Amino acid sequence: MDNVKKRAAELLKSEAVKVVIGYTMGTNGKPRAAFIQNAEDVDSLIFNAQCVQNLAVYLSKAEIKQLGKPAIVAPLNVLRAIIQLASEMQIQENELIVLGVSPDGELIDFQNFSAIEKYLEDFNMEVDAKEKETLEKISSMSLEERWKFWNEELAECFKCYACRAACPMCYCHKCAVEQNKPQWIPVAAHRLGNLEWHIMRAMHLAGRCVNCDACHEACPKGINLNFLTKLMLNDAQEEFGYTGVTLKEGNLLSTFKTNDQENFIQ
Amino acid sequence: MNEFEPKIVAFVCNWCTYAGADLTGTSRIKYATNVKIVRFPCTGRIDFMLLLKAFSEGADGIIISGCHPNDCHYTSGNFHARRRWVMFRSLLDFMGIDVRRIQFSWVSAAEGAKWAEIVNSTVETVRELGPYSDYQKVADFLKTEVENG
Amino acid sequence: MSRIGVFVCHCGENISATVDVEKVAQAAAGFDDVVHSVDYKYMCSDPGQTLIKQAIKEHNLTGVVVAACSPRMHEPTFRKACAEAGLNGYMCEMTNLREHCSWVHDRTEETTEKAIDLVRMLVEKVKNNKPLEPILVPITKTALVIGGGIAGIQTSLDIANCGHKVILVEKEPSIGGHMSQLSETFPTLDCSQCILTPRMVEVAQHPNIELITYAELDSLEGYIGNFKAKIRKKAKSVDHSVCTGCGDCWGKCPSKKIPSEFNAGLGSRTAIYVPFPQAVPNKPVIDKSNCNYYQKGKCKICEKFCKPGAIRFDQEDEIVEAEVGAVVVTTGFDVVKPEFFPEYGYGKYKDVITGLQFERLASASGPTLGEIRRPSDEKVPEKVVFIACAGSRDPAKGINYCSKICCMYTAKHAMLYQHKVHTGKSFVFYMDIRAAGKNYDEFVRRAIEEDKVNYIRGRVSTVYEKDGKLIVKGADTLMNGEPIEIEADMVVLASAGISNPGSEELAQKLHVSYDRYKFFAEAHPKLKPVETNTAGIFLAGACQAPKDIPETVGMASGAASKVAALFSQPELKREPLIAVVNRQMPPVFSSCVGCFLCETACPYNAIGREEIKDRNGNVIKTLARVNEGLCQGCGTCVAFCRTKSIDIQGFSNEQMYSEVMALLND
Repeated sequence: MDNVKKRAAELLKSEAVKVVIGYTMGTNGKPRAAFIQNAEDVDSLIFNAQCVQNLAVYLSKAEIKQLGKPAIVAPLNVLRAIIQLASEMQIQENELIVLGVSPDGELIDFQNFSAIEKYLEDFNMEVDAKEKETLEKISSMSLEERWKFWNEELAECFKCYACRAACPMCYCHKCAVEQNKPQWIPVAAHRLGNLEWHIMRAMHLAGRCVNCDACHEACPKGINLNFLTKLMLNDAQEEFGYTGVTLKEGNLLSTFKTNDQENFIQ
Repeated sequence: MNEFEPKIVAFVCNWCTYAGADLTGTSRIKYATNVKIVRFPCTGRIDFMLLLKAFSEGADGIIISGCHPNDCHYTSGNFHARRRWVMFRSLLDFMGIDVRRIQFSWVSAAEGAKWAEIVNSTVETVRELGPYSDYQKVADFLKTEVENG
Repeated sequence: MSRIGVFVCHCGENISATVDVEKVAQAAAGFDDVVHSVDYKYMCSDPGQTLIKQAIKEHNLTGVVVAACSPRMHEPTFRKACAEAGLNGYMCEMTNLREHCSWVHDRTEETTEKAIDLVRMLVEKVKNNKPLEPILVPITKTALVIGGGIAGIQTSLDIANCGHKVILVEKEPSIGGHMSQLSETFPTLDCSQCILTPRMVEVAQHPNIELITYAELDSLEGYIGNFKAKIRKKAKSVDHSVCTGCGDCWGKCPSKKIPSEFNAGLGSRTAIYVPFPQAVPNKPVIDKSNCNYYQKGKCKICEKFCKPGAIRFDQEDEIVEAEVGAVVVTTGFDVVKPEFFPEYGYGKYKDVITGLQFERLASASGPTLGEIRRPSDEKVPEKVVFIACAGSRDPAKGINYCSKICCMYTAKHAMLYQHKVHTGKSFVFYMDIRAAGKNYDEFVRRAIEEDKVNYIRGRVSTVYEKDGKLIVKGADTLMNGEPIEIEADMVVLASAGISNPGSEELAQKLHVSYDRYKFFAEAHPKLKPVETNTAGIFLAGACQAPKDIPETVGMASGAASKVAALFSQPELKREPLIAVVNRQMPPVFSSCVGCFLCETACPYNAIGREEIKDRNGNVIKTLARVNEGLCQGCGTCVAFCRTKSIDIQGFSNEQMYSEVMALLND
């Protein structure tokens, strides 16, 4: 982590960047995001296994953009989000300095986005075995049980949209849930509104989700909503051989193959 | 009490299935009255949210139909739609929404008879499944909430 | 506040026989915002349209729903009528009470209920319609004609004679198509080549026609008025700008045993060849698959004997690009192949031949110089059996349709045979004689009565060889199904006409529909026989279905007149049913976040980028922007847009949402 701090200080001092987005220790003993604008403050930067928040979410926030060019402390999840954001034209190489960190906190230098892509090739973005088990468990329930399960799970949701705020891919200025011409999704946090919101969220993240679980971490009710996006990720891999975020592959849903499966179509 | 008559809405593309359904008419092939067609320019245009709206508004079944692969009037709208449906269908199924109530099909402008078959078989399938009260109840929740203040 | 008028059509009795139209009109009158609702016998008639126009003025309507037939049929009619009354045409919607309701249901309460629902849907939709103005686009006044048979020749000449440029692409080394292979033509027995070849020459010499032979369409992009075609010119291995067509090369070519396509396999040709003496252009190409040099690496005899030095062994396929405003497909047809008739022994017995082969035997330019000599031993056959409907109208063989031309050419063949072999006997096995056409039935009667052709109504079950004779076993259904056995010297099959191989692939390149037999589909079986479902692409000839020469020529002129009509306008008015990206007040500008998923999804590359700049010229936002010349209005982008920032005019989110809501909220 020392190298990260050192690089961060250099960047700030030389005014190569105006802000360093990283992790620091919060007052509640949990890591939180830090926005360091002075070189002397870099010592407060930390990195450990608890640093799970996806900092990439701040790259598209207007308040952070106002501060000037950022550098970002980027573990795996952040790196993936950066590439996905870049593929969606949300960030550009020259607008950002990426301070990659290995799981043990060592600085990884990235000259450009394609270097990040190359690095990511070694880390398959997969739903892990335990999560797969959960997906299978839910899938193996009867239709009625699944319906009941999700109705109960989503009953807790009160539409605070913390999941959306935490998601680096939810950068839209005006989310479809806030559209009222037409009113696609009822505003109130009742069963229908909740169901439709979560279906829409999962569909909008299909092929875009970087599997960072930030949504789940952010949910004050601990709803397992990340399993909806995990299902989409798992499907994308199994159905379409989706290998994860790249700049070239194109978005999963806005591309197609002529031999995509269609055994459900009569 | 009358036998349950399913309400079915069909989202079809203008160029193949709508024209195919026109041909069903021109050929005077009879089918069940339960299905009402909504015309879209292309299956690629069909927003998945509209399917959810149809269920919450009381549809017991949905037909989605367009041009066969490679025959899309717009070259690839149906390919995009197909990939979207694969994901959407899986998600709905995972969440306990009854995908047997959604019939996907390719019906070309020449397949008037096939359109009648699709309609009749979907009506039968949905008739057997019964009203989609599970989903409608979720939607009713809203109405009763509002009514009860 | 909308003021909607509903107009329910009886369509004579087509709708009113099963739908209670008065009840529909009454129910519609009760819908929110419907201020006027009537029913009428024929809405599309002049008085019907006047009814609508008057109501628009009287009731100050802001929207119109015509409940009648398919919008694919009459939407333009009613939109035009509304526009004439001062209501923007795009404020008019149709609901389909005929094809989708009255014609497919019995007269029951449910049918009328459904009709009411269908009207309600469109009333709700039309409330969300917005007035739109057509888009004007320039037209490239050059036509691309694909296929140089009689259909393509006629189409090209007609368009060219209207003063427009034509690019005629033919896949074979010469134009002419099937018609150039025919001996005489029914019902006049005039020589096919005599009437065709002058037109072939006219094509070659016409200043407005660019003829590209030995070439195929590689791809077609764009839209009506503005297509971009890529044409693959196959390597001819001969430089036609140098070649004089003297014939020295094919005279010396050592590969002489190649079955001649022109002679339907009955004669042979060389590897460097012109398909037939009257070919246009009359210059050779090298068939690489049969050329010694290309296959074995040595020979080059043609090069040695070519005085002008026109041989180019290193020539490669070349892709040329062309901008065209309209395309006419005239690719013709094919006939079923030998394996189709195991029971008739075609392909097994040399003297069982197809109608097309008989044409070559009867033709003065054919392998026998017009004498009827059978292929096996070149003897003049004394007994010939003609089998009509060989493959056609045979559901067991997968061909349900009538090939249309066979009855007539079979009569012609029998007649030609009788004229050439006076002592010969001819028999025609037929199912029905279809001789509808000017002087057609008279022609068949002539064959029967004057030329004494024996017509036997019945099918042939089998043909086999015995002692040098072909035994034809059949039955005469007019004689109580009495079995018949004829010892024939030659059997001629009126083999079914089928779509050309590769037609499916071509249809996909052109984005036009085709039917289950892979014939190209016309836009309407009666009213749009030469149009396809893709604007700017037309059809002529047997690529649409088997047809004879007069019908083909008529259709070709029809297609040409459609092209000429298109080219006669200064600009093309296009439907404004295209995608648009929303715009809002600064500092938002648009809800579009510029993720450009729409750009990757768009099949037409119609989505570009628009940079919003501040006063100092700094880019503050990048938005998607639709190129209205390229957008075709499929709406695929709309379904991809997470923020609903891109919407399609005429099928907008609000329109579709309202339609669905109305359908179910009853």
